[in-house]
Parts: sequence; structure tokens; C-alpha cells
Amino acid sequence: MAIHFENVTYRYPGSDAGVFDINLEIADGELLVVIGPSGSGKTTLLKLLAGFIEADSGRILVDGQEMAGLPPHRRNLGIVFQSYALFQHMTAAQNVAYPLKVRGIPRRERLLQARQALARVRLDGFADRLPSSLSGGQQQRVALARALIFSPRALLLDEPLSALDAFRRAEMRDEIVRVQREAAIATLHVTHDLEEAMSIGDRVAVMHGGRLLQVAAPQTLYDTPADRRVGAFVGKANLWEARVSVPGQIATAFGTLPCDTQGWVPGSSVVALVRPERVIPLANLADGRASGAVFTGTLCHDRFAGPTRRFDMAVGGAVIHGETGGYRGGIVAVQISPDAVRLLPPTTFDA
Amino acid sequence: MAVLTYLYLIFLVAPILLLLVGSFGGVWANTLLPTGVTVHWYGALFEDPSLQRAFRTSLVVVTATCVIDVVVGVPAAYALHTQARKAVRFAGRLVSLLPVAVPELTLAFGFILLFSTDALPWLGSTPLLIAGHVVLTLPYLLNTLLADMEHLRLAELEAVAGSLGAGFTSRFFDVVVPSLRHSVLAGLITAAALSIGEFQLSNLVSGFLNRTYPTFLLQAFYGATGFACAATVVLLGLAVAAAGIGAAVARAGGRAHG
Repeated sequence: MAIHFENVTYRYPGSDAGVFDINLEIADGELLVVIGPSGSGKTTLLKLLAGFIEADSGRILVDGQEMAGLPPHRRNLGIVFQSYALFQHMTAAQNVAYPLKVRGIPRRERLLQARQALARVRLDGFADRLPSSLSGGQQQRVALARALIFSPRALLLDEPLSALDAFRRAEMRDEIVRVQREAAIATLHVTHDLEEAMSIGDRVAVMHGGRLLQVAAPQTLYDTPADRRVGAFVGKANLWEARVSVPGQIATAFGTLPCDTQGWVPGSSVVALVRPERVIPLANLADGRASGAVFTGTLCHDRFAGPTRRFDMAVGGAVIHGETGGYRGGIVAVQISPDAVRLLPPTTFDA
Repeated sequence: MAVLTYLYLIFLVAPILLLLVGSFGGVWANTLLPTGVTVHWYGALFEDPSLQRAFRTSLVVVTATCVIDVVVGVPAAYALHTQARKAVRFAGRLVSLLPVAVPELTLAFGFILLFSTDALPWLGSTPLLIAGHVVLTLPYLLNTLLADMEHLRLAELEAVAGSLGAGFTSRFFDVVVPSLRHSVLAGLITAAALSIGEFQLSNLVSGFLNRTYPTFLLQAFYGATGFACAATVVLLGLAVAAAGIGAAVARAGGRAHG
């Protein structure tokens, strides 16, 4: 493992905020995205790894080497900040060459390497520009090239896309993945943007209140979240309190749902998670498929938003949120098939 | 509103115009405007040894003040900026602002009391004069620097430089100092302008042989009016030049940051 957090705890002096008992591994070449609301401790994790702050307890290892006590400039980690943090008095090439300069590489050699690095982020021809004459996306590419030129042991990205507009963000997101794959470098990417995290992360770590809730591949996280909080955080979700009535069936406030109850004994309280796109709208009751429960109710919301159409159906005091792509017909009932239901523990683990 | 503006402008410009007129006027006694035109006063000015001495003293004081301001100010501002504790940062700013808030006379009287003692008999010496000017001008440089450090997100730039492998010395000279060059220059020009025109403290603290240019002016006004006017116009020219350079530097800095 390239990066290893072992029981790491850090508390900001004079407050309850911080990160607690973090265990996390990032493999060589892996792109791990840490996501969480602001104040969840995701940037703290990055600062601990970078050496801007020191853990109160626990260990951080990079390539097996203990990081404790090493100042940032001895850790050999490339960092890109949200604000780009380019040196305004240096040209793009001088910025990129700077890490080589402090390592004593002769001027001609380091500027040559910097130009090659700029070409790799598709900025050939911009080498002699000052940062102030580059666009946000171009500045971020310079920052990326600068963070990689000295072959660091890992790449740390602190919300690198938040300062860009939506269009540039998508473009830069692909660029980061491309460059990261090319360099095959362990990467810790911190963001609060769910789509960004899900689309580029090999694995995604969800943080809340300074704790890691779950670390998993994006699809695993989405389909089988560890608890209701992760389930709600990584996408829209129906979350219903329920009870396992008999094997293969749960009782909810609005009726019985067939589903896989393996691992739960009859009588246990559970939370049933159903993603809105798994709720199938029906124009009439006869359209229902063989398996799965059908519920009729009152359509209380029906919003068309281009590629998606969202609808809410009130059923026996509960509301079922649904989402459909191409379906344009009327909705008198909804169907939920057994494989769309995922059972979660009724409480969150540190609530 | 327009009328008020014009009245204010007249109020501002009239004395300056009168000075200019007076410096080229022949005789000016008990009349609204002087009679006759002459450049005689400027000639007299450049031949006056005590003026030359005052001019030299002012140059020495301004230069030394600026040098000391930079040597003390840049590290001090840096220390304040990188200080993590908010209370310390606040206290530092407060102390640095005190010389602005406290009347210069108070400072001057303090200097007189302290430096006319047998233990510290330095009243009237040029180094003490320079020290006084440093105390008065340093806050302006400090605050210009602190504002710019905030604006540039210097702490983040340093963090990045650190992560790229730069130790403290490299960071300070490769990143901190070059990033601050515009604000150092802008702050220094303010400091120089203040130091050139400073009167209250200099008048009380300087000795007979190291009067600064403004204190010399006061003496000049006891003599011929035209002479005094010409001497003031020279000071005015210096002040305008400083302000002009300041504005130009601020513009260049704004462009570089923008």
C-alpha cells in the first residue's frame, strides 16, 4: 500500500472538530476520493498527510515510511489546491520547474523538463505566460504539472475543480484522471461534489463528523451503502422504516415489500433503501410485472426535467419518490421489484 | 453638491497657487498679491547652506527610514501573518497601529523625556531622528504588507512551495519576498512621503545641525516671504513626485495581481 492511515486522530486545538480513528489505505496508482459535507474533516485528512498538521495519535505511512515529524518539504508529495496557488511572479514554465529548482537541477535542464510536463497537460505554447494571463482551467493544469514533475510518491488534490465553472469542471475532471493514470500515482482527491467523486474515484471514502463512514467502489457505495446516512449522501434515496415480517418479506408503513432478507431474522427493525430510478411507474395496474409489489396512490408531484422525470406518490401516509427517463405516460401506480430493495441497519453507527 | 465641490477645490488649491505666485513674486508685504516677478528666491534657496544641510538631512533620514522599515517590516509582517493564534495576530496589529493613533506630539515628548537623560543622551542626534521616523512610518508599511499577504493567500502559496520541496529559506526568498515586491514598494512610498513631510516630531527631536527640510521651512518663514514660498514649493514638488510614483506602482501592482 502506498498510503496508510492507521488509527489516526487529530483534534483542532480548542474545539471538538477534527478526524477520529481514521483507517485508510490507498494503493499504488489508485485514485481515492474523499467526500463529505464541509466540516466533515476531509481536508484535515489531506493536511495530515501533507504534513501541514501533525496527528495527535496514530500513524501515517507513505511507502512504508513513517511520516511523523517530517516537515512538508521532506515528504515528497505533490499537492494541488482549489485556488491553484501558482506563483504569480513566475511564468508557467518557471512554476512547473520550481520543484526541480529547489532540488538543484540546472536551469536549462529543469526548464526543458517543465516544457515537456506542460505539453503533457496540453499547455504547449503557454510556457512563457504569467499565471494572470491564463484561464482558471489552464492555471489548474499548470498546478497539476507542477505537482507531478518531481515524481512525488503521491498526489494530493484539495477540491481542485471547485473554482472552475461547470463546463471546465467536467473537462478538467477527465484531464485529472488521464494525467493520474498516465503517472500511475497513488492519489488522494478531496471534494464535496458527489458526481465528481463517483465518476472518477476508483474508491470513494465517505466522511461525516470527522469519521469515515464507508470506503468502497462507487457502485458498491451506491448499491449497498453501509447505513442510511451513506445511502442518503451518495444519491437520492427512498428510506423507509420497516420490520422483517417473514423471510423474504418486510412490512412498511404502506404495505408489504418482497425482498432479500438474508442476514436478518424475522422481527428485526430495518431501514429499506430504494433508489428512485428503481421505482417503476405504471399507467394501469395490469401493467405490473410478475415479481414485485405494486402500490397505488395519489400522484402528488410530477416534474419533467428533460432527461429525467421525477414523481412523488403518496401511499398510505408514506411518499414514494420515483424517477424515470423516457416514460411519458400517466402514473396511477408504482412497482418495486425485490432486487431494488436494500436493507440497512435501523441506526447509524455513531449516532 | 457641485458648488461645494468647487469651493472645496478652491480651498485646497488656493494656498498652493499662492505659494507658487509668492515664490516668483518680488515684494510681498501687506498686499493681496506680491508685486514684481523674479526667480531670485530660487537662486537664494540653492545658495543657502542651512537649506542644503536640511535637504541632505532629510535625504539621509528618508533613506535610512525606508531601509530600516523594510528590514524590520517584512519579517515582522511575515511573523504576524504566519502566527496561527488569532489573539496574537490581533495584538500585533494593535501595537503596530498605535503610532498612527497616538498624536505625534505625545511620542515626541516621550522621546524628549527619555533621551535627554544622562543614561541615554541622544536627543538631537540623527540616529534618534531616524528611529522616530521609523516608529511613525512602519505601521503603514506593515499594514500594506499584511493586507497584501491576506489578498495573495501567502500562507497557501508557502504551503504549496513547502510541498514542492522548498525549505524555509527557499520559500522566503523565492516566494514570499517576490510576491510582496509591489506592496513593499507601495508601502515604502507612503513611508517616504510621510517621512519627507514629517514636522511635529522632527521639530522637537532634531538638533540645530540636523534639522529636516520641513523644520527648516518654519525658520524660513521668519525671513523673506518669497524665500519661504520657494522653499515650500520644493517640498511640494517632492511630495507630488512621491505620490505620483506611488500611484504608478500601485497601478502596476494591481495589473500584476489582477
